[in-house]
Order: sequence, then structure tokens, then C-alpha cells
Amino acid sequence: MDQQMISGFAPAPVAARMENHGASMLKVAMQSGQDLFARTGSMVAYEGFVQYEPNPPAVRQMASQWLTGEGAPLMRCSGDGLLYLADYGANVVCINLNGDSLSVNGTNLLAFDAHLQWGVERVKGIAKFAGQGLFNVGVSGTGWVALTSRGTPIVVDCGRGEDETYVDPDALVAWSSGLKVKGKRSFKASSLIGRGSGEAYQLGFSGQGFVVVQPSEDSTDRLRARG
Amino acid sequence: MAREFQRGHKARISDLTAGRDLYVGVQIAGPGLTFDISCFGLDANERLSDDRYFIFFNQPKSPEEAIQQLGPQAGDTDSFRVTLDNVPPAIQKLSFTATIDGAGQMSQVGPGYLRIVAGGEEVARYSFTGSEFSTERAVMLGDFYLKDVWRFAAVGQGFDGGLEALLKNFGGEVAEEEPAPAPAQGATPGFAPPGQAAPAPGFAPPAGTPAPSAPPAPAPPAPQPAPAFGAPQGTPPQGMPPQGTPPPGTPHGTPPQGAQPPAPGTPQMHGAPTIAAPIAPPGQVPPPGQVPPPGQVPPPPPPGQFPGQQPPFGQQPGQAPPAPAPYGQPYPAQPYPGQPGQPAPYGQPHPMGGVPQGGGALGLQAALSKYREAPTGQRWTPQNSRLMRVDLGVGGQPVLARQGTMVLYQGKVDFSYKGAGFRGRIVGNATGQEMQLMRCTGQGQVFLAENAAELHPIELQGDAICVSAENVLAFDESLHHEVRRIEGHGIPGGALFTMQFQGTGTVVVKTEGTPVVLPVTPTTFADSNAIVAWSAGAQVIISSQVRLRRSAYPGHSGETVNLQFRGAPGNFIVVQPYEV
Repeated sequence: MDQQMISGFAPAPVAARMENHGASMLKVAMQSGQDLFARTGSMVAYEGFVQYEPNPPAVRQMASQWLTGEGAPLMRCSGDGLLYLADYGANVVCINLNGDSLSVNGTNLLAFDAHLQWGVERVKGIAKFAGQGLFNVGVSGTGWVALTSRGTPIVVDCGRGEDETYVDPDALVAWSSGLKVKGKRSFKASSLIGRGSGEAYQLGFSGQGFVVVQPSEDSTDRLRARG
Repeated sequence: MAREFQRGHKARISDLTAGRDLYVGVQIAGPGLTFDISCFGLDANERLSDDRYFIFFNQPKSPEEAIQQLGPQAGDTDSFRVTLDNVPPAIQKLSFTATIDGAGQMSQVGPGYLRIVAGGEEVARYSFTGSEFSTERAVMLGDFYLKDVWRFAAVGQGFDGGLEALLKNFGGEVAEEEPAPAPAQGATPGFAPPGQAAPAPGFAPPAGTPAPSAPPAPAPPAPQPAPAFGAPQGTPPQGMPPQGTPPPGTPHGTPPQGAQPPAPGTPQMHGAPTIAAPIAPPGQVPPPGQVPPPGQVPPPPPPGQFPGQQPPFGQQPGQAPPAPAPYGQPYPAQPYPGQPGQPAPYGQPHPMGGVPQGGGALGLQAALSKYREAPTGQRWTPQNSRLMRVDLGVGGQPVLARQGTMVLYQGKVDFSYKGAGFRGRIVGNATGQEMQLMRCTGQGQVFLAENAAELHPIELQGDAICVSAENVLAFDESLHHEVRRIEGHGIPGGALFTMQFQGTGTVVVKTEGTPVVLPVTPTTFADSNAIVAWSAGAQVIISSQVRLRRSAYPGHSGETVNLQFRGAPGNFIVVQPYEV
């Protein structure tokens, strides 16, 4: 077959544990002993010998706090090889944590090193209103994390303006731990008679740090929706 | 995200990408112009000391295939593949050039670019337009050059002569000075074969020419009827016969590939620059690297006779297979698994010599810095192609936005319901062009986006534009907007409705995918579902294909109602690649 047309898409040589291949595919260099947690169903290809263990015991314990109560949407990947992950064409951002800590919307978490400290966090008030079983994963330590974002994300510094930063919960991807979060309702009486502005509920962030936001209010969990 | 280069910018390629197998795409176009895109492999003195490293339409790759011309693809006028690790040490610089074939000058060139793609991702782009040039007929676009490590420089330097002068500048030889029976016509570069019965550049080795040591073959090798790789797919010079059609009368026949005993079983897709041309005359093969005199009519070789001189870049089937490309990387890009003699490394386990743990920038801030917000003092600032930031403090007037498009805001901003008014509501209900709007007032910055659709701010300065209401994201309240109705038979619902914006201010239009902007000509049609916007000066006519009987059956084209546009020159329409 004439493959010249696709010759630009061959993978680049491995330079890091996690890398982007194109905007929306994540390439992870796997090695035994360095396990990875990834969203179930996010694998699109792999080379080498990689094994997947859905719903591992460590996760199950954590997941008991998850509001949805379903199986944990994480799998443990181990082995040697190259693993390619993607989430329905969403943009992938890989981050090399260096002692930082980050709070990621569960829907937007694609993969992270198993040796990182992580835990499920419940964001006050958010699940009640968003009504989508929103959970947040706090990740900290030294290692790699990959996030997904529908469209190129934007990073906004909080604490720069005198006022708080308000984010639509559906568009929120991640924020640096240490920010103060509070819900803000902008319900008015007029909303009840069909004259709302469409922006009923926001999360207000204050403190020093940043917020990552995606240019889409599509927060459906496609990997989970596939079942 | 691709790094944008300006003229004169330089960077280490290792800073752009870890990849060593690069795709270089050049897009250049101008009305009525055709271009030859070439790559010169120069030595340390910036001379073309080895003509085999002049990669152009007649010689689409270097001997060891480190540089290959791939032809037009993926929106590029021409493209190359450069495997940096395979470039021989004598070659210190690769200069990518574009020359106008025929009449014209570089100032007529529209916006173009040179881009580098690695690992499926565009890593660098140097954009240029014709306004940077004047009467030049060639331009040196960019260089890869070796200075300790390989680097890329955006050159963008015009050159007065054509390809021939450029070649001379680099110390190459143009063999045209030799008396040729058929002089090249007009402005055709000297080495372009004239459009006669002999389009054969002399240095083209016969496809599948056996090595001298190989046993004689009964049949002369034939050219590839359909050159898959070597054919100059780009812009063949004037006078070049169409590809794949050997001129009639050349008695070489086209036996199938399998009929050649010494040839390997698989077609040699790129063993030789397979040019749709007759076989070079045996014994007359010029020294490799010599650009042949044009118009030399090579007699067809008698069967059984073989050139005594083997061009070094021809494939030699009788001998050891060509050296496997020294892809030393763990994940070689091996795009030609069908190539005989080359190992196909895809199936092999990789030499996984430990996973690099570092790599890339360390830390949270470094990883996210490229996504940082870009504040400017302007009212509307695109943050990226899908996210718009509006600073309500600038200009001081409210913004009307589609409800629910706010993703983030800072400052004291109030979002309130914006009704269309009584009359607007009636119109809206009747037309389906009702917009659920909200008014953003206050002081602060609002970030707007919807569904990761691409956003395009359009600044109106007293003029008017019609936008389909579904494609409006936000606009300044100072703009006057109204619903316009387009009547016509055959439209579902009886009529089409759009929003017309007029005044001074900005409208943000969203499209699914990259839109196309077409000038309005007497024959401009658009699908009523895919149309996004058009300048209000254009007149819309419904053109429906009335094929009543056909549409009653399955299998009709599905394109029944089209919009036709009429207008003075200067009007345009915007169409998205998505039919809502």
C-alpha cells in the first residue's frame, strides 16, 4: 500500500514517560514496576506486553466514596511497551508533577502514575447541583498526570483580579489544590419564570493558584457512557 | 501547538520536537501560478556539490532516502520527508525553495507557509505572504542546517532568477548550455524536459535496471506505469506530458512487473525515481548527478543490453538488498513495509531501554504555561481557536451572548436574561431564529465558548453581515440585529431565516470545524444547512433541484435545496463543514 500519505503520523521516538501524539492522543511508555492508572476504556492501542486490571482493589476502596456507586472507572495498567490512550478526540494535556498537587475533575482525568498520592475529593455542593455524579480526584507527588479537555484548554490565574474567579462547573477541568472553592448561585426570581440567564450556578475560586477550563460545557463522561 | 516562526527566526529542531523523522509541508499558491518546490542538500560551503541531493520533481529523493519528496497532500502544495539521522555528514544544510514555473512574480503569491510535522503534530510553522516579496521569481523558504545539532531557520528570502538561477547560485550545473536539439520553451527551467517524445531526464535509471552483475534479462525493464512515489505530483513544468502515459511511439512496451526475471517481486515503489518516461539509453546514462540536457531523445534500449554504468541511486536487485534504513530509533517510522529488502520493524518488540522518566518540562506550571490566558488590552481577545475572552471594562457596553456560553468570569459581572421584546418574541417563535440571549454587564472579563466550536470574531465597521442564528455566539449590544427572511419553495418550513447584524462592533460566529470563505461569483451555491454567514450585500436565491420522482425513491442525492448567491465582487459567504 502506498503509505506516503500517512508518513507524517508515525510516532516520534520516546522522550518521556507521557507524551502527546497529536493533540488528542496520549502515548505512555510503560515499564514493569511503573504501573499506571487509566480511565477504563481509554486504551486505543498498545505495543508490547501491557496488562489491564479493571477495578483493582486499591481503587475499589477509594471508589466506595464515589457518589455514583458504580464500578470504579479506573484500570491499572502494567507491563512493558507503549500505550496509547484517548478519550473521544478530546485534547490531552500531560503534566509532569514535581511535588505539586492538583485537583482534577474525574471526567477529565485520563491517566496518572500509580505511585502518586491520590484520593477522591468531594467538592462541596457541586454534585448536588450538577447532578452528574461529579467527583474530583486530588493528585500530588512527583510523576505524570494526563488530563483531557474538550478543545484547547485555558489556564487562568486566580488572585490576580481583586474579585474571585467564577467558573461554570461543566467547563471546569482542574485547579491547583489550595484554592478556596465555594459555590455561587445566581438564581433570581426571574429564573423561575423562564427568564434565567442560563448561568445558574458557578464555582467561585479564591486564593493563589490557577484554574484550567475547557472551551466546552460538554461534561458528559463518554468513557463511562459507553458502558 | 505549532510554534510560529517569523522571517529570520531560528531554533534547534530538538527544541521543537524529539522526532528525527520529519514531515515538511510547503503551501504556496497564487492565481495562475504554478510552483516547483525543491530541496537543496548543500555542503559546508553551501554549495550543491552533489547533484543527487537536489531534490525536485525529477529526482524525488536522495540516494539513501533521507530526503524524499512526497508530493501534494494534506493541504500542502508539496511535501517532503526528512529523516535527519540518515542525512549523510557531507550534507550540512537543506534549503527548501519555491520557484515560479512560467511567468509571474512572488508578489502575486497568496498567504502560504512552510510547516514541520513530527509525531502527527505540527511543531513549527513559518507563514509568509506575497506582500513580503516583489518581482522575485523564487524564494528560499527555510533551511535545516547543521550547527552542532540540526536547526531550522525561517529564511523567506526572495531570489530574482528562477529555479535555474537558484541552482546556479548553489553551484549546481544546468546542462542546458549544451546544444540541445529542442530548446526549452520560454521560461521553462532548463532542465525541464520539453514536451516532446522524450520526457526522459537522462539520469532517471530504468526502473528495475538489473545490476551489471545480474544475468541478462530477456525483456527491457519498463517504467512504472503509475508512479507511486517518484512522480512529480506537484506542479510539473510546462510541457511535461501527463504522468503515467508514456508518449505513444516509444517502443518500450509495458510488460507487467512480474515479467521481469531479475526484478524483485514487489514493485519497486521508490527504488528508482520512477518517472513516467522511457528508459534512459544504455551507455548514455550521464554521470549521476549531472542534470541532463533536455531534449535528448533516448533510443529505446535493445533487449538484453544493459547500461554499463549503474546510477548509484538505482536499486540493484541482483545484489544485496539496499542497506536497511538505519532507523536507530526505537520507534522507527517505516512507511514502506512493502519495500523488499528492508526490515519491517513494526512487528518487532522495541528495544525498550528504560523509560525516560524526565523529558519535557518539569512541574505543573511548565506543563500548563502554554495554555495560559493571553490578556491584551482589547475588548475581544481570542484565547485560542475555541475560546473568546471579552473584557467588559473596555468599551463599557454590555455584551449579548447565547445563554450558557460563559465558562469562566472574573470581576463583577452580572448575567441577566435578555428578552427579544414582544415583537421579537413573535418573530422568533414564528421563525425559529429566536435566540436565547443573556446580557453580560459590569466590570470584568468573561470567557465564552460553546461545545468546543471554532470561534471567529468579525468586526463590523458600519457594514452588515447575515449570520444563521445557530452560529451566533455573542455580539456587542451596540450592533443592530434583526431577523431576515428568505422565501422559497422547497425549504422545509417554508422559508429560511437569518440574523442580520449592522453597525459598529464585533460579532462572534461559531463554526463546527474550519470554515471556508468563498467569494460570491455568478455560480456560488451553498447548502442551506451548512451556510454560516454571508455579507449582507449578497443576494440570496433559492435554487432547488426539482426531481420529484427521483426523490421519492431511495438513492437520490440528498441535496435538494441550495442557496445561490449573487452580488457585486467583494461579497463573500462562509460555509462550515457541518450540516446542522
